[in-house]
Amino acid sequence: MNPIEDLIDHKEVIVCAGSGGVGKTTIAASIALRAALEGKKAAVLTIDPARRLATSLGLKELSNHPVKVNRRKFTAAGLEPIGELHAMMLDTKTTFDEVVLQYAPTRAQAERIIANRFYRNISSTLSGTQEYMAMEKLYELHSSGDYDVLVVDTPPTRNALDFLDSPRRLTDFFESRMLRWFLIPYMKAGGGIMRVANVAANTFLRLVKRMVGGEVLQDTAEFFGNLEGMYDGFKERAQEVAALLRSDATTFVVVTSPSDESVGEATYFGSRLNESGLPFGALVVNRVHPKLGDGIQVVKARHLRSLKEGSSDARLLAALLENEAAFMRVVGLEEDNLTALARKIPRHRWVRVPYLEREAVDFPGLVAISEQMFPSG
Amino acid sequence: MLLEDFFSPRILVIAGKGGVGKTTVSAALALVAARRGRKVCVAEIDRKGTLPRLFGGKALGYQPSELSPGVWGMNIVVEEALAEYLKVQYHLNRISRMFTSPQFVDYITTAAPGLRDILVLGKVWYLEQGRSGGGPVHDFDTIIVDAQASGHMLTFLSAPMGLADAVQVGPLRRQSEWIIDMLRDRERTRVHMVTLAEEMPVQETVETSGALRTRVGLVPSIAFANAIYTSNPNSKDSLEHSNPEKLNADILKEAAAAAGFRLEDDDIVALVGYAGFFKARSAIQRRHLAGLRRNIEEPVIELPFLFSAGLALPDIERLADEIEIKVAEL
Repeated sequence: MNPIEDLIDHKEVIVCAGSGGVGKTTIAASIALRAALEGKKAAVLTIDPARRLATSLGLKELSNHPVKVNRRKFTAAGLEPIGELHAMMLDTKTTFDEVVLQYAPTRAQAERIIANRFYRNISSTLSGTQEYMAMEKLYELHSSGDYDVLVVDTPPTRNALDFLDSPRRLTDFFESRMLRWFLIPYMKAGGGIMRVANVAANTFLRLVKRMVGGEVLQDTAEFFGNLEGMYDGFKERAQEVAALLRSDATTFVVVTSPSDESVGEATYFGSRLNESGLPFGALVVNRVHPKLGDGIQVVKARHLRSLKEGSSDARLLAALLENEAAFMRVVGLEEDNLTALARKIPRHRWVRVPYLEREAVDFPGLVAISEQMFPSG
Repeated sequence: MLLEDFFSPRILVIAGKGGVGKTTVSAALALVAARRGRKVCVAEIDRKGTLPRLFGGKALGYQPSELSPGVWGMNIVVEEALAEYLKVQYHLNRISRMFTSPQFVDYITTAAPGLRDILVLGKVWYLEQGRSGGGPVHDFDTIIVDAQASGHMLTFLSAPMGLADAVQVGPLRRQSEWIIDMLRDRERTRVHMVTLAEEMPVQETVETSGALRTRVGLVPSIAFANAIYTSNPNSKDSLEHSNPEKLNADILKEAAAAAGFRLEDDDIVALVGYAGFFKARSAIQRRHLAGLRRNIEEPVIELPFLFSAGLALPDIERLADEIEIKVAEL
């Protein structure tokens, strides 16, 4: 059985992970599409889809909740969904605001945090935030019980591993004793460094003030001050999110291309999932050059030379032969990379998606990819 | 354009989205520079890149190391750039571990967004000035910045502007201005963009090209369109223009027989199939290239798809040859 088909049948959360440029968003959307065709109420949570794909799915940038893909899209592609396909684009800032509103003891405290400049910088700048908020949103949608299957795309991190480390990185940051110990006394002392007795804290505060100025220091101190009383809630939530990712309801689909760099990352990612106790479900090898034939062995250099000096038909044949040889070379090199990959991840866990003669940047494109992934129809 | 002119600014920033081949293009440019006797350094940004593997070397460190004659490589790690900055700026010679911990780096770069990028660009400025905050001083003729920014490439290059606005006083503001001057001065820095002939990379390249002008005051130089399916350039009969009616089994078999070999039906299927694949992918790429050329002012240099599945030095040498020819044609 197609390993992903199996996941669609038995899992509630499918996380697609992989390095940049391998087609994660397309694969995630194609899996959700397939689930909808099989009668599931499916939602795909995308991070940064191509504009044409977003438009094609009917996504608007600022809605931070799933929107149902119009049935007409299916019928236009000759498909009859028994289930439903929903899609959304993550809005990191709004998701974060919702978390703050939920965990702040009072509305006023939540509003003070949301208005704080350092807090706003976190959403846009602090690495790990976008990844964590994607997981947070996933947790929220899963808890709602509104969907049978949730498929989530992961942010285009420099390498796929950043994403696994992100939730801990963010909670470690909030809980950092260094920051809490140094910044909270500063605020309690009314913003006067002189009054902070602790020597280390004093060194810290002086340096930060000289580097980025008193105003910025004030903002950050206020932020950590306002966060007091919320750490436990945050931490508990982060643990629940982590527990969902480890649970039987969840599976990870690793997406790769057949290039050596991407295959290396996918292998490493697979082993990291294992170490972290996260459930690996399947591997998608995307954009594999198609293999046509076994290579034309009879052609020798002298044949090519003679063709190139011949008639226009002969010269065309020479160009065709060179083209075929070039593609067979790339097919061979890709196969070498994939053979190495098969030693780490057995082939029965794979789905291979050929490099198509069209782009998958709209709904019909997704249908084409989906048909390649699930050829049984 | 003369290659001497191409390399007259010392800093070449290679910008582009993840997965488009910035490291490949950076490495090829480094070879072109080294062939001209220049001492060149490729700076990766905060990542263990594939560059050293190409040259069979070990992972790059913060201190530049020579990968092959004339070609050096380094990894500008943000933590180390911060430590160096604190040492030089605040004379913190014994940097407390506190200030190089990931939490502090996260804190200070979040408190002052753009600081992360400024530390990296500041290190580039330092290299350009031929200075070092410890370790040997190098006098590189060419510094190639493989600008693998985690987000949009524009964020990276506009960081100094953002920081100059956010931090009103103090040394950081002054330093941001030095970096802005460095980036805007075409005698010192050129920004080249790398893209694939695909939907999203082209869209981002077009947006970046415009925004670099309006928001950073910087004019990008060349857009390298990477991995373009190209049939053998030495053959006059390119597949892009082949007549589909000519792809007839009998005609092809006859031509083969005349040249002294025999083609089977399976062979014809493969030949016609790959020709079709080539034409289809090539047509998609042509469409995106046309869109790219319509929407940006800078010249586009097409680099061929190498029919490979990973980086190897001979491939990079071939791209270097290609770049030499195409830059000269500009």
